[in-house]
Amino acid sequence: MRNPHRRRYIAVMSRSRLAVLALTALFVVGCGSSSNNSTSSSSSNTSSSSSTSASTGGSTSCTASVGMEGPITGPVAVLGEEQLAFAKLAAQDDNKANGTNITVVQGDTQLTPSIATTVTQQMISNSKIVAVVGPAGSQEVEAVGPLFGRAGMAFISGSATNSALTDGKNPTFFRVVSRDDVQGPQDAHYIVNKLHPKALMIVDDQEAYSTGLVSVMIPIFKAAGITVDHESVSQKQTDFSSLVAKVTPQTSVVVLPWQVAANAQQFGKNLAEQKKSAVIFGTDGLFSPGTFTINGSYVSSFGPDIRGIPSDSNLVTEAKAAYPKFGTFGPPVYAAEHVIDEAISTVCKGGQTPSRSNVLAAIKQTNESSSILGQPISFTPHGDLAGGKFFLFKIDAKGNYNLIPSS
Amino acid sequence: MSSQGPSIGVDEWVARSGERRGYSPGWDGLLERINDRVNWWLGLALAAGIGFAFGQAGFSSFVMQVAFNALLLALLAVGLNIAVGWAGLLDLGYIGFFGFGAYGFALLSSNQLSSSGVHLQAWESVPLVMIGGAILGLLVGLPSRRLIGDYLAIVTLFFGEAFVEFTNNVAPSKLGGPNGIFGLDPIRGFGSQIISLKGYYYLMLVLLVVTMVVLRLLDTSRTGRAWRAVREDPLAASLMTVPVNRVKLMAFSFGAMVAALAGAAFAAEQTNVFPTNFDTSYLILIYAALILGGAGSMAGAVLGAVVIEATYDGFLRSPHWAGVIFYGLILLTLLVKLRPWRRLAGVLVGTVVFGFVVYAIVHAISPSATAGGPQSGGFVADLVRNWVIVPAPKAGTIPAGPGNLEFAAVICLLIALVQLRGRWRSILMIPTIYLAACAWESRLVGQPSITRVILTGAVLIVMMNSRPQGLLGVRRVEIV
Amino acid sequence: MHKFIQELVNGLTTGSVYALIALGYSMVYGILKLLNFAHGDLFMVGAFIGYFVIQWFGGPAALSVPVPIVLLVMFVLAGGGVGALGVVIERFAYRPLRDAPRIAPLITALGVSFFLENTALLFFGASYHIYNTSDFIPFSSGIHIGALDIDMARIMVIVLSVVLMIGLRLIVNRTQLGRQMRAVATDREAAEMLGINVDYTIAATFFLGSALAGVSGVMWGLVFNSVWNYMGFLAGLKAFTAAVVGGIGSISGAVLGGLLIGLAESFITGYVSSTYTNLIVFGILIAVMLLRPSGLLGRVQLQKV
Repeated sequence: MRNPHRRRYIAVMSRSRLAVLALTALFVVGCGSSSNNSTSSSSSNTSSSSSTSASTGGSTSCTASVGMEGPITGPVAVLGEEQLAFAKLAAQDDNKANGTNITVVQGDTQLTPSIATTVTQQMISNSKIVAVVGPAGSQEVEAVGPLFGRAGMAFISGSATNSALTDGKNPTFFRVVSRDDVQGPQDAHYIVNKLHPKALMIVDDQEAYSTGLVSVMIPIFKAAGITVDHESVSQKQTDFSSLVAKVTPQTSVVVLPWQVAANAQQFGKNLAEQKKSAVIFGTDGLFSPGTFTINGSYVSSFGPDIRGIPSDSNLVTEAKAAYPKFGTFGPPVYAAEHVIDEAISTVCKGGQTPSRSNVLAAIKQTNESSSILGQPISFTPHGDLAGGKFFLFKIDAKGNYNLIPSS
Repeated sequence: MSSQGPSIGVDEWVARSGERRGYSPGWDGLLERINDRVNWWLGLALAAGIGFAFGQAGFSSFVMQVAFNALLLALLAVGLNIAVGWAGLLDLGYIGFFGFGAYGFALLSSNQLSSSGVHLQAWESVPLVMIGGAILGLLVGLPSRRLIGDYLAIVTLFFGEAFVEFTNNVAPSKLGGPNGIFGLDPIRGFGSQIISLKGYYYLMLVLLVVTMVVLRLLDTSRTGRAWRAVREDPLAASLMTVPVNRVKLMAFSFGAMVAALAGAAFAAEQTNVFPTNFDTSYLILIYAALILGGAGSMAGAVLGAVVIEATYDGFLRSPHWAGVIFYGLILLTLLVKLRPWRRLAGVLVGTVVFGFVVYAIVHAISPSATAGGPQSGGFVADLVRNWVIVPAPKAGTIPAGPGNLEFAAVICLLIALVQLRGRWRSILMIPTIYLAACAWESRLVGQPSITRVILTGAVLIVMMNSRPQGLLGVRRVEIV
Repeated sequence: MHKFIQELVNGLTTGSVYALIALGYSMVYGILKLLNFAHGDLFMVGAFIGYFVIQWFGGPAALSVPVPIVLLVMFVLAGGGVGALGVVIERFAYRPLRDAPRIAPLITALGVSFFLENTALLFFGASYHIYNTSDFIPFSSGIHIGALDIDMARIMVIVLSVVLMIGLRLIVNRTQLGRQMRAVATDREAAEMLGINVDYTIAATFFLGSALAGVSGVMWGLVFNSVWNYMGFLAGLKAFTAAVVGGIGSISGAVLGGLLIGLAESFITGYVSSTYTNLIVFGILIAVMLLRPSGLLGRVQLQKV
C-alpha cells in the first residue's frame, strides 16, 4: 500500500524465478516425504498408539475408528463440547480395558441438518469408520438416517429423543436415551398429581427436543383443568425478565423443557429478582449439577446421579478432569461410545476384523447389565433403549440434587 | 493511503480509469489476463466439461456431496449477483428466497398437505415455486422504491430473519416447526427418478449452466445495461429514461427466482427441510462466495463458491489437508512476498535452525515439555518431529493449555510484524513462523472443528486484503 | 400496572445495552460507511474481560476488594482492552480496504467475526461463563415498592448508559477530536486537505466505538449473567438494527433505536406472546423504515449530482 511501484517492479521481475523456486520447493518437499517414509513408519505407528493410549493389552491389534457427530461449533457448541469430551473419554477407557485401538473422529454438524448430511457423507466415505456416535438433534437424525441406512452403518445418538425416529424407517439407528413419549407423560403426571398447580407456564426453546416434549405434555395439563400459558423463546436468548414478569401469582409451576442449563439458571435468577414464587420443573436436558442450582426446582433425568454412586467414583473423577461441569449430555454419549467399543471388541474376540456390518450386528445384540446411566442397556428391534425409565430430583438450597423416591 | 496518484472517486481518477484497466502485477494479472482473453461462452463450455468429467471421475460420496454443495452455492451466488453485483442493491434477505423455494417444494411435493389434497409432481411444483419466488422477490423488493443503501439492506435482513422465525413458530402442523418436513418426492426427469447423489450433482450442474446462459443473455441485453446504469448512478440513469424502480424490482425478482429454484433442488436432494438450514450463517457463505469471487462477475461467483466450499467444507474438514493448507499458505506467502532472495533464504534457513536449537535446549531442560510430539499425521508430522515443541498432553482437554498461549503469542507477533520494517521484520519472522507451527501442532490440530472456522476467517481477511475486488472482479469506478 | 412498570424497566435495561452497542456501531459506520459485523464480537470480548476480572478478585461470592472497585476495574479494563482490540482490527482488516469497493470490507468483517468467535471458543470453551451478579450485588439492594422489584444492577446499567451517551455526545460535539471525526465522516478527502490526520481520527473512532462495546459487554454480564463465545452475533444484529432504524450515523438515533427495540421486545413478550415476539418486532421495524426511509432521526441524504 505504501509503495505500490516497488512491489510491482519486484513481482514482474521475478515471475519466472518464482516458478523455478516453487518447483524446487515442491521437489524438496516431495523428496523429504518419500525419503522419510521408510524410516518413519515405525515412529508414526508409535505416535498413533500413544495418542490413543492403548498399548496395554498386547493382544492382536483391534483397530477401528468411530465417528462422533455433534455441534462442536455454532450456537449450541456447549452441548457438542461436552459430548465430544465424553466420547473421547469412553474410547480411552475402553481401549485400556479391552486392549483395542479405537480412535474418535470428530465431525462438526452445528446442529444443522444440511451440514450433518455433509459430515455423514464424510464419515461414510472414510472406510476406517465402522460406526458413529450422534448426531445430537432429532432433526439431524431425521436427515441423515437414510444415508446411514444405505451404508449399513450403525449410529447411536445420546440426545435425539423425538418419538418418531424409531418407527422403523431408520434400521441402523439406536439411542441410549428414552423417547419424548416416555418422559413427557411421566413428568406431566407428576406435576398434575403432586404439585397441584392451578396455572402453569410452559416455555419451549424452539428446538425439536423442546417442542416435542411440549406437545406431549400440554394435553395432559389441559385434561387436568390447569390453565396453561405456552410461551416460546429462542435457545440463543439469555434474558427472560420480560417473560418472568408474565408469571402470575396463581402460576406455581414453570415447566422448562430446555437443553441449556445456564439459561434455566438465569430464568431462576429472574424469578428471584422479581420475587416470584413459582417452581421450575426441568426435563432431562437441564440435569446439570453445578450449573442449574435454583433452590426448590425439580429436574427429571434418564438415570440416577452418577456422582452419588460409589462404584462410579473413578469415572466421575475422570469425567470431572475431562469436563469439569458436566451435565446431562456427556454420560449418554459415553454410554453410546461404550456400546460401540464393546461391539468392536466382541467382533475382534470372535476372530473377525471389525467391519460396519458385523459391528452393527454386535450392537443389536448389546446387553449390558449396568451402565454409566445407572440402568441396563439393550435395544428394542427399532433401536430404542429397552425399558428406559426416568428419575426425578429436587434441588436443595445448596444446589444438591436429591432423588425423589418413586411412589 | 497511497500518496501517489489521485484518490479513488475524484474526477481525475475517473478520467484515468482506462489506464488502470491494465492488469495487476504478478499472479493476479495472469488470472485477469486469462479471464479476459477467453471467450465467455468458451469458458462456460470448458467449465461445464470439467464439471461433467469431475462427476465421472469416481470420487467418494463425500467428495460428491461437497461438489454438490459447491454447485448449489454457486447457483445461489450467481442469483445473488443479479441484485448485489449488477444492480448494486444490498439484499440481505436473499436466504429467505432460498428457504421459500425449499419449503414451497416441500409443501407441494410431499405428503405434508395431502390431507387438503395437494401433492404435486416435481415438474409441476418447481415452476410454481419459481413463480412464487419471483412474486415474493417483487414484494420484498418494493421498499427499494423508497429505501436506498443500507436502509434497504436492513429491511431485507428483517425478511430473511422473519422467514426463519415464521417456519419455526407458525402453523407447526403444516410447516413442521423445528422438526421440519421430510419424506419429499425425488425429482423426476426424462421418465426416471433422480435418487442418487451423483444424479443431483448433474442436475445441479445443468441448472447452473442453464441459469448462467439465461443470465448472460439478460446481462448483455438492454435490461443488463439498465441494471449497471442504476448501480452506477440512479439519478443519471433515470435522466436517460431508465425506469429505475422497475429495473430494481426486476433485479430482486430474478434473483429470488434463481434462489427459489436452488431451494427446490436442494430440498429434493436432502429429501427434507428444516428452518435451521436457512439461517444467517448460510447467507454469510453465499455473500462470501460472491464477493470473494468478485461481485458483478458470474464466473467469479462460481469460482468463489468452489473455492469456499472446497476449503471450508472439503479440505478443512480433514485434519491432514488442514495441515497441508496451513503450512502451504505460510510457505506460499513467504515465497511470493519476501524479497530479495537472500532474505527469503535467510528466513527459511533461520526458521529451521531456530527450531532445532530451541527444541534441543527445551528438551535438555525439561523432556516432558517436548514429550507430546506433533498431533498432525502423515508426512507433515514426520517433517516437523523433533522440531516443534509440544508438551505432553494433559488429562483435561478443555482448560487452556500452553497451546492457547502460543496461539495468542503468534497473533501478537503478527501484529508486531506489520508495524516493523526492514531487517527487524525478517528477524522477527523467524520466531513467529516457528511459534505458529508449535501452536498448530500442540493445540489447533487437536480441535479440527474449531480450527476450521478460525482458518476460514483468517483466509477471508487475507484474501480480501490482497484482492479487494475479488478473484475475478473488475476494479470498477465507484462514485463516492 | 406493576407488570407494566416491570416490563418498562426490563425493556429499558435491554434497550440501553442495545443502544450502547449501537452507538459504537453507528460511530464506526458514520466515519467509514462500513457495516462492522465484528462489532458484536467485541462486545463478547468485553463481557469475557469482565468475567475474568471477577474471577481474578476471588470470584463473585468472595471478592477480595470492595464491589465498587471491582466494577471500576471491570469497566476500565473491558473498555480499554476492547478499544485497543478495535484499533488493531481496524489496522489489519479495514484500513487496507479503505479505498476498495464498499462491499469488500463486509467480508473481512465477517472474517474477523469468525476469527474472534472461534478463538474465544478455543480459549475459553463453549460453556456459559456465569457472572453470578446477585452474589455481590444482592437483589435486596435494589428498589422495592410493593410488588415492584427493580434490581440494583439494572439501575446501575441504565444510569451508566445515560452517562456514557451524554459523554459521547459531548466528545463528538464539543472537543477537537469530535470536530475531526465529524469532518472525516462528512468528507474524508476534504478533511485530509485541511490537515486532519485521517488515520488517527479513524483509529480514535474505532477506539471509542469498540470501548463502548466492551463496556456494554460487562453490563450485559452484570444483568443477564451468562457470557459465552457466540453471544456477540445476536447482540451485533440487534445493534445493527437499532443503528439503522435510528438513522445511521446519528448518535441520538442509535439510542432511540436501541430503546425502541428493547421496549418492543419486552412489551410484546409481556402482553402478546413470546412465540411471535421477533416476528412482530420485525414487522414494527419494517413499518418504521417504510414511513421514515432514512431512519427515525437520520437526515434525508442529499444526492450529489
